[in-house]
Amino acid sequence: MARTGLTSALSYRDPKAALKWLQAAFGFELVLLIEDGEGNLAHSQMTFGDSHVMVGNEWSADHASPASLGGKNTQTVHIHIDEDVDKHCERARAAGAEILAEPATQFYGDRTYRCRDPEGHIWTIGQTVQAVTREEAEAATGLKIQGWA
Amino acid sequence: MSARILVALRIKAAPARVFDAFVGEIGAWWRPNPLFSFTPRSPGVLAFEGAGEGARLVERLASGKVFEIGQVRVWTPGERLVFGWRQAAFAPGMDTEVEVRFEAVGEETRVTVEHRGWETVPAEHVARHGFPNQLFLLRHGQWWTGLLQGLASHLHP
Repeated sequence: MARTGLTSALSYRDPKAALKWLQAAFGFELVLLIEDGEGNLAHSQMTFGDSHVMVGNEWSADHASPASLGGKNTQTVHIHIDEDVDKHCERARAAGAEILAEPATQFYGDRTYRCRDPEGHIWTIGQTVQAVTREEAEAATGLKIQGWA
Repeated sequence: MSARILVALRIKAAPARVFDAFVGEIGAWWRPNPLFSFTPRSPGVLAFEGAGEGARLVERLASGKVFEIGQVRVWTPGERLVFGWRQAAFAPGMDTEVEVRFEAVGEETRVTVEHRGWETVPAEHVARHGFPNQLFLLRHGQWWTGLLQGLASHLHP
């Protein structure tokens, strides 16, 4: 599998539970897991399409799960999917995700939702449902936009 | 608990075909790694001798000698394979085990390799090359990922 240029590494208090949850909620697939002699997770990677995330523990004093930080996130991961974001949301909800924003179509043409996993990581998920030009997006928002594809 | 490595890869073929290639064509897709050689005279050519529980995974060396890597403990065609894995330098009591699972996912097969028992090989043993445990296991896992990619390429040249 080709390595993509950017990869998120997430910290969890219970990373082995996170591996199961991320598979159940988002359909991520475990592709690498290293455990030490005590059964503790040392390193892991999950794939989603051509991308992957690393799932680890709170491995240094400066790495923490939101569960250890009163729920604060300092970055979030966005998942872009090709079809049926509403169904994706229902799967995540069934797995125990707290839905912070229900699926809604945004001015830029993506239908998105936002949820929180059991340790407090916030995830956004989007599907492009309509083509929107830069002029349309500017008209809809009153913003000046650069770099619109 | 066991120090273990788990890697997985999807391959575009049915589980029965992937299983058959894993055991029957291992000499063609295996990629030796000098960091993890079985004997001082490796690499040779790998083969499963026999079929079913009790079959042997061996490395046939250029000298004509045959080194037994391990015996097959579970042989369920198209589903599951478990075999022992020893290097020639392992002392009695050192033993690792490889479990390979083949699961259909749509028209593909998800092949999962779990290599466990590394806690029986002490940190100072030559097989570990002085690597810290996590780095050793990670390197070994990356080799397994490369091996599965070799199996996939073998099935889809």
